[in-house]
Amino acid sequence: MDKGNSPLDDYVLSLVEHRRPRVCFLPTASGDADHYVVRFYRRFSTSCQASHISLFRRDQGGQGVEDDLEAHLLAQHVIYVGGGNVVSMLGVWRAHGLDKVLQAAWHKGILLCGPSAGSLCWFRESLSAFHGAPRRVQGLGLLPYSNCVHYDAEPERRAEYHRFIGDGMSPGFAADDGAAMHFCGTELKRVVSCEERAGAYRVCAVGGEVIEERLEALDLRTDAAQALAGRPREPIAA
Amino acid sequence: MSGRGPSSPRVPRAQRVIFAMGGGGFTMEPLNPLLDDFVLSLAPCARPRILFLPTASGDTAAQISAFYARYSDRACVPEHLSLFHLRDVNRPLAEIVLGQDIVYTGGGSMRNLLAIWRAHGLDQILTSAWERGVVLAGLSAGAMCWFEGGVTRSSGPATHMCGLGLLAGSLTVHADGEPDRLPVWLSAISNGTLPGGWAVDDGVGLCFRGGHLQRVVSSRPGASAQRVDAVAGELVRDRLEPELLGSGVLGGDVNVDDDVRELREVIRLRERFTQTRRYRRS
Repeated sequence: MDKGNSPLDDYVLSLVEHRRPRVCFLPTASGDADHYVVRFYRRFSTSCQASHISLFRRDQGGQGVEDDLEAHLLAQHVIYVGGGNVVSMLGVWRAHGLDKVLQAAWHKGILLCGPSAGSLCWFRESLSAFHGAPRRVQGLGLLPYSNCVHYDAEPERRAEYHRFIGDGMSPGFAADDGAAMHFCGTELKRVVSCEERAGAYRVCAVGGEVIEERLEALDLRTDAAQALAGRPREPIAA
Repeated sequence: MSGRGPSSPRVPRAQRVIFAMGGGGFTMEPLNPLLDDFVLSLAPCARPRILFLPTASGDTAAQISAFYARYSDRACVPEHLSLFHLRDVNRPLAEIVLGQDIVYTGGGSMRNLLAIWRAHGLDQILTSAWERGVVLAGLSAGAMCWFEGGVTRSSGPATHMCGLGLLAGSLTVHADGEPDRLPVWLSAISNGTLPGGWAVDDGVGLCFRGGHLQRVVSSRPGASAQRVDAVAGELVRDRLEPELLGSGVLGGDVNVDDDVRELREVIRLRERFTQTRRYRRS
């Protein structure tokens, strides 16, 4: 949904074998920002059965999907988690029991995806961004790795992630803006990108030394990529 | 301005102030500043620093702009802290909060409010701020959070929920505007799930010093509060008559012409009518 990232959204939809898939948006990390919700519907409502869940408006119930979160989420083909503050989001999810529901959705084979905070949340732990000193954040742990996003957005992020990995953070994956990682189960299946130079990296510590390996990425803007149809319903972290 | 900060000493319990509103203030009564002026009067300095926490709403732009609309031309230094937009924040949270004279908490989802505060450690920071003499004020979810418990609609139907417990007892809000909370609250007190406490109408605020209710004030005629306790299996209810603000006690209504006063009263009543319909959140 983010500017210039629509090939990543197209890629997500290409993984679902349904003519008009049910896609539910969770804008929790933005505080359910209205402009983000609107952007979601603009992007997805023409080709999908689009809905969203607002965990700040559950008191308005009766008309919305908020009455039975679990039933609604487990009926989706895709659950799309928006960006924002991952710490606030995970706190709210746990308070509403959504951590358990999303885990169940993953086991059921529902495709989970999202950028930024919507990527970090699926991993065992991640590096929080953009406030004071970076810190380790415990995610839902569906993917037993660490994760770092916006890897190329500021020079310190790479250095910080390396430092945390060196200090014992789980080995994991970092992604530049404009790149996404597609996991099947807990295996990385493919890295896709929609920008020149955007990529993803495997980062781990070996004998006290931090090693970064750039992963081969499929450029979604090429014809070959357009023709590629992936396997349905697996988690993607963008 | 005071020189408060993280290293300030704790103040005696009797000097710790919490002002809990059942509804009202700049988000619900944009044309009626009486409660918000009362909030400023609680700080022991002429130009208090006041921090708005819009957490319970998801940090909506509407709440934040209503806060600045109310306070930017008053004798105070207004600031807000958005836990969803920490990208713009470059000081430690404790330093920001403990440097204030007043923290004002907005309404919204009580469940989300407490979950987010705890995720960022703000529950500890706010407790520490209260112990150091920072005035804590708030409405709706932002009022119930200071008590042992309250009644929230954060998950749809009204249900009881624990708060931070700085104040003993329970609180239920919008007692007139959202009457479906009351039966849930009364039954929770009756069966011992919640301790006895206060039910507060929109427009009414309870001012506590230490653990004691010191004043009950109101921005609207007719609004009130009640104290309810379970005594030997029976609910005992006590109506509390608030002091009506703006009647010369506080604020500058003294030298106002009668027709201006009348107009303001009409506006207040109209507001009350529309706001109780519009705001069904906490």
